[in-house]
Amino acid sequence: MPFTETALRDEYAAAVEQFSGRTLDAVRDGGGAAVPVGTTGPDVATDLDGPARRPLLAAARVLGANLLAPQLLVGAPPDEATAALLAEARRALPVPTAGTEAGALAIAWQDWAARCVLAATPHPDTGAAAPPPPAPPGPADLGWQVWSVRMAQLSVLALPGLDGAVHDAARAHTLDLARGTVRAMLRRDPTTAVRLARWLAWAQADGRPVRLEVEPVLDRIGFVGDGTARSGLELAVARALLTRAPWKGAQR
Amino acid sequence: MTDTQVLATAQQLGSRALAWLHTGQLGGFDRIEDNTIIDLADPNDVYKPLCEAALAASLILRDGVTGAHDARLARELLEASWAQLRCGDLLYERQLRHVTVIDPLETYAHFARVGYRHPAMDELLESLGRLRSVHAVEIPGNRQLALANARRIAGLSPAPDWPALAQATWLGALSEPWTIAWVIGYHVTHTVFHLTDWGARPECLPEPMHAYLRDWLPVWLDVWLETEQWDLAGELLIVDSCIGEPVTGRVGWDALAAVQQPDGLIPRDGATPLSYDDPEDTFREHEHTAVVGVVAATVALSRALGGAPVAA
Repeated sequence: MPFTETALRDEYAAAVEQFSGRTLDAVRDGGGAAVPVGTTGPDVATDLDGPARRPLLAAARVLGANLLAPQLLVGAPPDEATAALLAEARRALPVPTAGTEAGALAIAWQDWAARCVLAATPHPDTGAAAPPPPAPPGPADLGWQVWSVRMAQLSVLALPGLDGAVHDAARAHTLDLARGTVRAMLRRDPTTAVRLARWLAWAQADGRPVRLEVEPVLDRIGFVGDGTARSGLELAVARALLTRAPWKGAQR
Repeated sequence: MTDTQVLATAQQLGSRALAWLHTGQLGGFDRIEDNTIIDLADPNDVYKPLCEAALAASLILRDGVTGAHDARLARELLEASWAQLRCGDLLYERQLRHVTVIDPLETYAHFARVGYRHPAMDELLESLGRLRSVHAVEIPGNRQLALANARRIAGLSPAPDWPALAQATWLGALSEPWTIAWVIGYHVTHTVFHLTDWGARPECLPEPMHAYLRDWLPVWLDVWLETEQWDLAGELLIVDSCIGEPVTGRVGWDALAAVQQPDGLIPRDGATPLSYDDPEDTFREHEHTAVVGVVAATVALSRALGGAPVAA
């Protein structure tokens, strides 16, 4: 029934916003937990035992590796309660389906990111040892416009500690990432722009030359962004990446 | 090396735009009335488009990369425009009356570059060039470059401080590329046109500006093709040729060729050309874009063939 579906979708979207907001606060606090276990009041931990559990699990699945960004960005151990929730969400809910091959590949890489961050916790996936998905096509095949939009869909991978074929592509094509960012800004698409700016910040932290000054882009998005906590989280992660020196271990 | 398919597309686009321009102008559009006086009630009405057509024709003759037919059309356009300007008298009188106005010199340069001279105008310009006032007129950076390039073409001294002039533009500041707006797009293109003298001197573009344009031209072209701003997209293609090895490929050329009408008209913007009851109004609406098309093709072909301008 349309009304029911709409209500459910709204409920899930609200949960994603709520979780994004908590993770955003944690990033700003410099490494706190997205799931503050042990606290009381109308927070996620309490809700988890109530009827709103399923939307929250769905939200955890949507946010994936981003849930552990607060710790990854400061080099702290992943928050255990958050990791437990993410692991449970991945067990309870199926991998989303995609309508296209490119969409399926994007989901596979997002899933890979979640698997990777959980591998370092007491809650690894049963499929933790599975090989990574195939490398997505690069800008030479797709053109920088389409490629950069696909990279924006993979912004959750732009985190310390994750490294793979997608990261190699980001390292090799920083100009295309920058062009994609500028294009998104000019097309008044701050949602795509902030995700690409996050990749640029990641590349800069990785020690790659970046042809676009990222800070002014982030400042601008701070004013003209879509105002959602989810985009705010992308912005905060990008800012946190920028403040890092090139990190040890991720350099090649 | 520019893709030969790009050159073929450019050649056809430019040739058809030139034919359209020639048909309109020699067919009676863009006439300066006999009773026109030097103060020009509205310089943008006929005078400016006439001068822009002269620019396109002069570049065809300067670069010498078109066939004999197009070279003849270009020569006829120039002859007709020069005649309308009363062999330069109108420019001379306007410059004589208005010491600090730039457009007579700028227009004169289009003719001077291919050998049309007006001795009294030369004498006047030399004299005016000795005035501090002429060099201190408060105009935007890209217009300062227009003045400097016109003086360079006309062979006037002293030489300006080119690096300082280049620096004092939006492009020279290497501005954040996502802050460009439609009108700034034209400031950028004209900064490049004047610094490089319409592609004849690519080495005169400072290296940081060169690198900056290679990075961001593809983005700007993409955005203005998507919004169907053919006139500005065409100017960006000129820039791409002016800076050396082009970076935007064939996408812009294919898009402009696709919207060009069978008679050679290139719409200023939009999927279909804006049309008026009076054919002269329609001509005026799209005239600038035809000039852009001719110049884009001429500079692209000239640069691909080595870029050495020939004496006209």
